[in-house]
Amino acid sequence: MSDLPELDIEPRVAAMLPPWTEIMQYIRKSPKRAPVEVLRAAAARGRPVVQPRCGVGGHGEMRTLLTTLEQRARPGILTITIDSFTRLKQFRTAAQALQRDPAGLNGYPLVTHGWRRGRELNELVDAPIEVRHGSPDPRELFAVSLASGFTSFEGGGIDYNLPYSKDVPLARSLAAWAQVDRLCGVLAEAGVVVDRELFGTLTAVLVPPSVSLAVCLLEARAASLAGVRCLSVAYPQGGEVHQDIAALRSIPVLARRYLPETVEIFPVLHEFMGVFPADPDVADALILYGGLTARLGGAAKVINKTNQESRGIPDADANVSGIRTTALACTDLLDFVRVDEATVEEETYWLQREVAELVEPVLAASDLPAAIADAFAGGRLDIPFSASVHARSEVIPKRDATGAIRYLSAGRLPFSRPTLRRNEQCLRVDRASLSRRLVDEIRSDIDFFLHAERRLRADRAAVETAGPGTAGPAGPGAAAPSPGGIR
Amino acid sequence: MSSRKTQRTVIIGVARSDAHAVANHLIAMRLREAGFLVVNLGVCTPLEDFADALAAHPDAEAVVIGSLNGHAYEDLSDLPALRAAGRLHCPMIVGGNLSVGSHKDGDERERLLRLGVDHILDDADQIPLLLDLLQAARATPLTGV
Repeated sequence: MSDLPELDIEPRVAAMLPPWTEIMQYIRKSPKRAPVEVLRAAAARGRPVVQPRCGVGGHGEMRTLLTTLEQRARPGILTITIDSFTRLKQFRTAAQALQRDPAGLNGYPLVTHGWRRGRELNELVDAPIEVRHGSPDPRELFAVSLASGFTSFEGGGIDYNLPYSKDVPLARSLAAWAQVDRLCGVLAEAGVVVDRELFGTLTAVLVPPSVSLAVCLLEARAASLAGVRCLSVAYPQGGEVHQDIAALRSIPVLARRYLPETVEIFPVLHEFMGVFPADPDVADALILYGGLTARLGGAAKVINKTNQESRGIPDADANVSGIRTTALACTDLLDFVRVDEATVEEETYWLQREVAELVEPVLAASDLPAAIADAFAGGRLDIPFSASVHARSEVIPKRDATGAIRYLSAGRLPFSRPTLRRNEQCLRVDRASLSRRLVDEIRSDIDFFLHAERRLRADRAAVETAGPGTAGPAGPGAAAPSPGGIR
Repeated sequence: MSSRKTQRTVIIGVARSDAHAVANHLIAMRLREAGFLVVNLGVCTPLEDFADALAAHPDAEAVVIGSLNGHAYEDLSDLPALRAAGRLHCPMIVGGNLSVGSHKDGDERERLLRLGVDHILDDADQIPLLLDLLQAARATPLTGV
């Protein structure tokens, strides 16, 4: 039986774990740099470290993947992405799949492999390892992660529930994650700081920045009250650089406003999580753009994409190249790049105002988890395109002419009139004519970066049609030259 | 004429093993814009739940089920049993990515129609039109001589 403080876990999993004192000893005497130290150094340098996503079913294959990525791309932090059976606590099914066809798993079943193999992976590479998953109830996984020596763990009671599960009540997921966070508090008291990363990416489809930040702040508040001392707040690249920079730079500001001083906060950027261009050149450009956005926004860490994103889980080569391209954007090569600070300033003002209007009524309640669940039930908190029945998804996001994500409909979010008016002014839409085209327009907004790809292809086709030495305008049938030109 | 005022109802959702939420929300949005009362059962919905929803909304014009992961046939395999038990007796429309997996598109369509699916659509934009056609067919039944 496990003697891990605060954590109620299945007896079958508990029985396999080493004693708590042994786990603490193992983590304490590890010669590796802790994730929190890597993040501190990155924040101090002003250059984000890069972290890939990676996870395969077989243990040998996972070893090879981690060492390949480390040797060829030297990411600052490595990842073990967990399979979906383990995420849903279907440990028996994960074990059967592992025996039958490990390649069929979409991640590494850590609970099934067990903490000894976890430690083997931990000791195999220099970079610290974070466990990334998507569990509404991660307690068993967290126990095995800690026993393996992993002190960076992604997720929260809102962000790993609403985008992933259909019908897990928020009260239940928040309670499970509160146990994880209280154990982090116990660890912090003993001098072991666990980096808890919050998944502000949510459904990854046109998430308005203030929704992402509000959800993370509420989770961060709950986590820090439970004793967590290190929080990475992840924000998904939306694609409009001023808005993205404003969001990243707002993370430490909002943290100072709403969180206790005892907690360290690190902004993290997830490179574009929506529909990714299939053309490898366009995909690489978007990956570079992501790295640059992270650096300009002051992120401590950036999670890279790969140019195989549109096809599914990438191979090691594509991941190596994605890490390297992202890292390139964070070197001094592109330090000359400036953005319009006045626009960032304006975005920042309105973004922080929206966040305040979303979180302050919830933070005013005495019982935070209950207030969060109530607010989602009433639509006063909401996320678009939720898989869960516990969010109303009445919010309709829409890109404005610059590509920034706005609220076409704020549903029941408690926004002030000025906030609603600002969103309307940015969108400048004729609602009567929009209603007929609404779904197509939102689809087009979702496919935002496919438009760049289409323009590139049209340009290429025009070059091929015109042939060398032809200086005249492109003939009929060629697409109009893209504004801003990709070449 | 007063019957024109009653709101038309449609039940929508995503098949049992499928968690794709975005298209589901967009379809719900489109149908609401078109004036329907949309009972959206969301992702990962077993056929049984569609039958329960129809029992609760017997005036629903159709059940519209999306399937994007290639498992439409497996997810809908209870349909003959449910129909035999007197349930889910309203037009059933299925759409999405039916061709993923080992079965070719044509084959998959045949298999779904044999299960009792009434209409298969390739394009979600066709849903309102199909619902209108079904309504018109009900209003002016082609009675035999």
